Amino acid sequence: MSSFIDYTVNGLVVGNIYALLAVGLALIFGVANLINFAHGSVYTFGAYIGWAAVTFLHTPLPVTMLIVFVACAGLGVVIERVGLRPLQGKARIAPLLATIGLSFVLDQLVQLVFSPDPRAVPSDLPDWRLAVGDGSIGAMDILIAAVGLASAALLYVFLRFTKLGFAVRATAQDREAAQQMGVNVDAVNSAVFAIASALGGLSGLLVGMYYNHIDPAMSFQATLKGVVAQVIGGVGNVPGAIVGSLLLGLTESYGIALLGTTYRNLFAFVLLIAFLLWLPNGLFGGRATIQSEPLVGSFIAPSRPIRLPRWAVAALALAAFALPLATSAPYLLQTLTNAWLAAMLALSLTLIAGTAGQISFGHAGLLAIGGYASALLALDLGAPPILSIPAAGLITAGLGALLVFPAFRLRGHYIAIATLAIGEIVSLVILNWEGLTGGAMGLTGIPPLSFLGQDIFSNRAIYWLCLAIVVSLAALQARFLNSHFGRTLRAVREDEIAARSYGIKLDRYKGLAFAFGGFGAGVSGAIAAHLYSYLNNQTFDSQLSLLALTMVILGGMGNVLGAIVGAVALVGLPELFRVAAEYRILIYGVVLLLLIRFRPQGLLGTV
Amino acid sequence: MSEALLRLDRVNTFYGPVQVHFDLSLQVGRGRIVSLLGGNASGKSTTMKIILGLLAPRSGTVEFDGARIDGWPTHRVIRAGIGSVPEARRIFPLMSVRENLLMGAYGRADRKAVGEDLERMLTLFPRVAERINQRAGVLSGGEQQMLAMARALMGRPRLILMDEPTMGLSPLFVDRVLELIAEINRQGVTVFMVEQNANLALQIAHEGYVLQTGRIVLQGAAALLRGDPRIREAYLGGAAAA
Ligand SMILES: Nc1ncnc2c1ncn2[C@@H]1O[C@H](COP(=O)(O)OP(=O)(O)OP(=O)(O)O)[C@@H](O)[C@H]1O
Ligand SMILES: [Mg+2]
Repeated sequence: MSSFIDYTVNGLVVGNIYALLAVGLALIFGVANLINFAHGSVYTFGAYIGWAAVTFLHTPLPVTMLIVFVACAGLGVVIERVGLRPLQGKARIAPLLATIGLSFVLDQLVQLVFSPDPRAVPSDLPDWRLAVGDGSIGAMDILIAAVGLASAALLYVFLRFTKLGFAVRATAQDREAAQQMGVNVDAVNSAVFAIASALGGLSGLLVGMYYNHIDPAMSFQATLKGVVAQVIGGVGNVPGAIVGSLLLGLTESYGIALLGTTYRNLFAFVLLIAFLLWLPNGLFGGRATIQSEPLVGSFIAPSRPIRLPRWAVAALALAAFALPLATSAPYLLQTLTNAWLAAMLALSLTLIAGTAGQISFGHAGLLAIGGYASALLALDLGAPPILSIPAAGLITAGLGALLVFPAFRLRGHYIAIATLAIGEIVSLVILNWEGLTGGAMGLTGIPPLSFLGQDIFSNRAIYWLCLAIVVSLAALQARFLNSHFGRTLRAVREDEIAARSYGIKLDRYKGLAFAFGGFGAGVSGAIAAHLYSYLNNQTFDSQLSLLALTMVILGGMGNVLGAIVGAVALVGLPELFRVAAEYRILIYGVVLLLLIRFRPQGLLGTV
Repeated sequence: MSEALLRLDRVNTFYGPVQVHFDLSLQVGRGRIVSLLGGNASGKSTTMKIILGLLAPRSGTVEFDGARIDGWPTHRVIRAGIGSVPEARRIFPLMSVRENLLMGAYGRADRKAVGEDLERMLTLFPRVAERINQRAGVLSGGEQQMLAMARALMGRPRLILMDEPTMGLSPLFVDRVLELIAEINRQGVTVFMVEQNANLALQIAHEGYVLQTGRIVLQGAAALLRGDPRIREAYLGGAAAA
């Protein structure tokens, strides 16, 4: 593949694949005001169903497509039932988090059933290519274009001329008014999820055939691409989603032509951030926009937090400090050390997402910045960890606040999308800035923790060090919450507009929250770097960000002790009980789903 | 009062911990125009939500045509023969006027009769007819009000609920809307309307109820209410404005 025409054809093909995803996301956003984070999982599911049909039943292509269509439509109905319908009337973020939980569950089930290994989807298409100028078009390209066009045409006819199509449009414009016309809006939601998921599944099947490769980890990126395409075209706008997808596909393809494949996603996310900042309503503007509301603020279910008396907290901390005296079991100590590192991340996130109400879906990006900063200071400048770790914390604080600064004026779902994208961008910059970060090869030989020239390898010492940092950060954060500053942050969370009218400088407060939170997360990433002695762009991936969010919700948004409890429960317990790795994500997903449905205030209550 | 088409009996409604209705009881006789009067935040729109099934009462019953409808989903209530002209009209702004009207007939299967009703609406509401192919969002407030009424009638309701149909309209449009409500009623549709402006509503209503912070404080024939000095005390809003 080399000519301009080839890149254009590739861009349009990929754009069509994105369009099949994005159109569904737009339909769902229209009727349900929800960004469906499980959409990529449906796409993966579709790819595997198609693979299974071809491999085991030797179905011809039209039959395979039909099977995928029907199976995914069914899955869509299930997602609506589990992720959306029981949460009606709850905070708008609730179904979004539920779809994240569902995506964990679905991806993990696919992985358990089909194994994590990549598969090739056999295609029975003829192997001819049509020469066009100095490029060519193959049968697969034509198939994908045909499916994309046919879907768009059918969707148009459906929305414009059928009764259900009318109901879908009416529900999207005004749900309550549609009900008052006799529309069963639950049935409409269900139908929309079925249609959207069927198209998403087809997209997965086509991708599998096009690249001759599918794997269970492809869901998340698919969701993100669909979201990016939607933001470009205007969230909830169906024709916009198609145009946005084609533009995204072309941008990526030309970008790859200029700079190489590893830049593909970077283009997508930079485009996303640019649109969020300058054209948040997309190219076609105006239409359904995300209603602004403090996102997590509204998820802070009113509750009376469970307050442990001071002596009980002190006793718990003492017990934790004393533990290594009672046992030296390396496995236990290492596991808890991991939990303390996770607790630093959770403390950071509970401050930002809970107390300040700025939901962050990209928090692992802060770990990565901290990890790389400390590793590079140690490797390139020979700084001892005792200096490089706090320095990494400070660098993360500054860089973290700086990176999200442009997103401060965003609200609602947009903050979630923006932080997600920023997290991805951090990881992609690490991947592509080879001169500094070693790219995909990563950094090796990061020196171990040391003190005054003495390397620290003892499990006990490392345990104590991490625990001491967690306790100090927690104590600091607790004081912070009860200060004028903490109260102001919560005021911003409850009502940004009112807070602004009192003359509160919002950006300064949010910036300080991110800086404080960035420091803790950066230190956590830095210590991890020295413990692992190896880092690459995938060490701190987006799944970790979502896991951190689950910890924080489990403990209770904004709750300092809750963050630590959440980290120990989700990182420590599965490890201690030696739950096999492939079941852990499943557990996280189920925990998230149950929490959102039955205990949104978390174990210890929101603060 | 003739036989009741709609009956609310000792309804108590809450938004979370806040009680909005206190033992609310009222009746709408078949073929009548009944008006629910009350100032801001007295619970008028919430009454509509209760009837429509958009909100469930904590206790009490709602009967329509002899059947208990509390607990029914909204679409079922509508299909049982109730039309709704919501507060602030709530037309579908991105759909054409024609599509809005067709949405009103959503629950009906008799395509041919729907076509005839569409023609009937266009003669009854000529302002709407002029704009049949335009996007509804560009219509003026008064035109949107006409459209919302025509849309509700497209479902061939036996009872039509109207929440402040004259709100925000110029005096000319207010008179026109009131005439149309009387006309709709003459054609056999029972009307239950919410109004802030007592003087206006009582011009066309047969009976009225006055709601004050969730309680019925006054009720009776419109002719009697019109002269009742307590209206002024019970509820200043409309009387003071008129
Ligand atoms: N969704 C809601 N959640 C909580 N409280 C509500 C909600 N809707 C209405 N209320 C409250 O219930 C009370 C009655 O509201 P309602 O809308 O029924 O009043 P209304 O008589 O229609 O007023 P208006 O003349 O302003 O339309 C008000 O105090 C209002 O603030
Ligand atoms: Mg009202």
